[in-house]
Amino acid sequence: MPEIVSTVLFLFINGLIWGLIVALIALGLTLIFGVMGIVNMAHGDIYMAGAVLSFYVVGMFGNFWLSLILVPVIVILFAAPLERLVLRPYEGYHSTSMIATVGISFIIQQIALGIYGGIPKKISNPWPMSFNFLGVDYPGYRFLVAFISILILAGLWLFLYRTSYGILVRASMQDREMASAMGIDVNKILITTFVLGCVLAAVGGVLAAPIYQVFYLMGHDVILLSFIVVIIGGLGSLKGTLIAALALCSIEGVMASFLSPVQAKAAIFIIMIVVLMRRPRGLFAE
Amino acid sequence: MRKKEKMRLERGVREKSTVKYFAIIFLLLLLVMGMVLPQGARSLVIHVMIFCILAMGYDISLGFTNQCSLGHSVFFGIGAYGAVLSILHLHIGFLPSLFFSLLGGFILGTLTGFISVRLSEAYFVIVTAIFFGVFHLLAMDMTWLTGGDDGLSVNLQTLSVGGISISLYDQRVNYYFVLVFLILSYLALDRIIRSPMGKIFVSIRENEKRVQFLGYNVYRYKLIAFIVSGVFSALSGGLYGLTLRYGSADFFSFHWSIMPVVWCLIGGLGTLAGPWIGVVIMSLFQYYVSAWWTYYLILFGIIILLILRISRKGILGYVLSRRLS
Repeated sequence: MPEIVSTVLFLFINGLIWGLIVALIALGLTLIFGVMGIVNMAHGDIYMAGAVLSFYVVGMFGNFWLSLILVPVIVILFAAPLERLVLRPYEGYHSTSMIATVGISFIIQQIALGIYGGIPKKISNPWPMSFNFLGVDYPGYRFLVAFISILILAGLWLFLYRTSYGILVRASMQDREMASAMGIDVNKILITTFVLGCVLAAVGGVLAAPIYQVFYLMGHDVILLSFIVVIIGGLGSLKGTLIAALALCSIEGVMASFLSPVQAKAAIFIIMIVVLMRRPRGLFAE
Repeated sequence: MRKKEKMRLERGVREKSTVKYFAIIFLLLLLVMGMVLPQGARSLVIHVMIFCILAMGYDISLGFTNQCSLGHSVFFGIGAYGAVLSILHLHIGFLPSLFFSLLGGFILGTLTGFISVRLSEAYFVIVTAIFFGVFHLLAMDMTWLTGGDDGLSVNLQTLSVGGISISLYDQRVNYYFVLVFLILSYLALDRIIRSPMGKIFVSIRENEKRVQFLGYNVYRYKLIAFIVSGVFSALSGGLYGLTLRYGSADFFSFHWSIMPVVWCLIGGLGTLAGPWIGVVIMSLFQYYVSAWWTYYLILFGIIILLILRISRKGILGYVLSRRLS
């Protein structure tokens, strides 16, 4: 096996696993947009909050896996009142909601800066195993991340397409007024969706925390990437978001072998522009 | 019915003249203040005037054609770098360097406008936000051109007109230099708004579909508004670069994208001079509160949420609607 092939394959798989995490975050984004009409600029900061909270859970209990359960609980406790009390008036107004969530993003960031501090820290690898994969030692934790992400994605799919509550969510996504007229409790659906989207982002943050450094501005890169993913996949399209996340991140991973990371980002950006020129509503928009 | 319409028309005329009086008083006040202010306060007012140009430029986009852009830091940054880089590499004076700011704003406004303007509302905000993100990353990365975070410093030449030499190193000269550009921008934008094209801008804001049915090319007018907005933002960036004699990748940061939105929302959308109130309030707020509390951005976030909740028309719009109803 020539070395270049195994390097590219390594980077490709790396990108694909990162793509699974990004898919979690971007699916939350597109779900919130689809049901509530909110463009959530604070989504990257909720991802950051997930990572920071997991840092504290690990520090307190010494067990990383516990944070996969505890962090979502904490996020639910914060996200539900946030939606009901703060975000409700901005729903459906796209640009207004985006500016409002910028305000929320500032608040979350500054709180994290105040409590957690401005220095990047690392969580130790919870599963220090490595596989020999095509002559390259590959960290086992990343495969575990891929496995957990796929489980969560499958769970999300089951929830949305195989449960009666999921049908209600999808109905509100298609036509909120009609859903409300049919007697669906849209109020409950809105809270559920927002909480679900935030939990997806926070879990993404928990999973990414041992791989990348935990930093109070770590949401910036992610929000940029997830916005590009959502725009290419089509706003509000779950299938498009998933495909775009996996495709873009693996392309970015492969391109990182001969370009600098920022150049790879710029290349992704150019892909987005080409897609927008051809399809102004993304690739998979209905 | 007839009477009601007449009343509305009269009210519109009165609102417009109120805004105009406010603008004239504000500018006269600035004219006098340049003489009497101490050095520190004068430097703050210079910044306020530069931001007023940015706020007006942004108002053309959000206030007049309802295009909420989160990518105006790109224009601000390109304006600053247009001035700084042309002075650094072409060794020209500060006045011609502003031409390169405007050129940069125009080219970038046209390119980004072509891509983003025809998109629907949600796509437009997101894509302009992506523009900001990518350009900020590129500016931070291309240190050979931009100097990255550390930035580039420049020396300004002295401009001599008819025996009088003008140097921006004198703060008082700098003050009036910026003020002249503020007045010129206000007059130019006011002229644009009062022209038939400006009327079409307003009607696009009020009812885009209807304008389309009347046979106007909505896309073209929105693109023109976006480019005008970009050019004036770039002018503001260029003046900022000249005043600080410095350009840094920080000029592409999110701060310069979100501030114009806040200024316009506080001051009053679609009034041209209204956002000036927003600039003054937010500049004082930042100047005093940031010195007093490190995490003042929390308050900033709360202010954003509150403004959006109370009134989208801003302070001037609120006062006008209160007084005239």
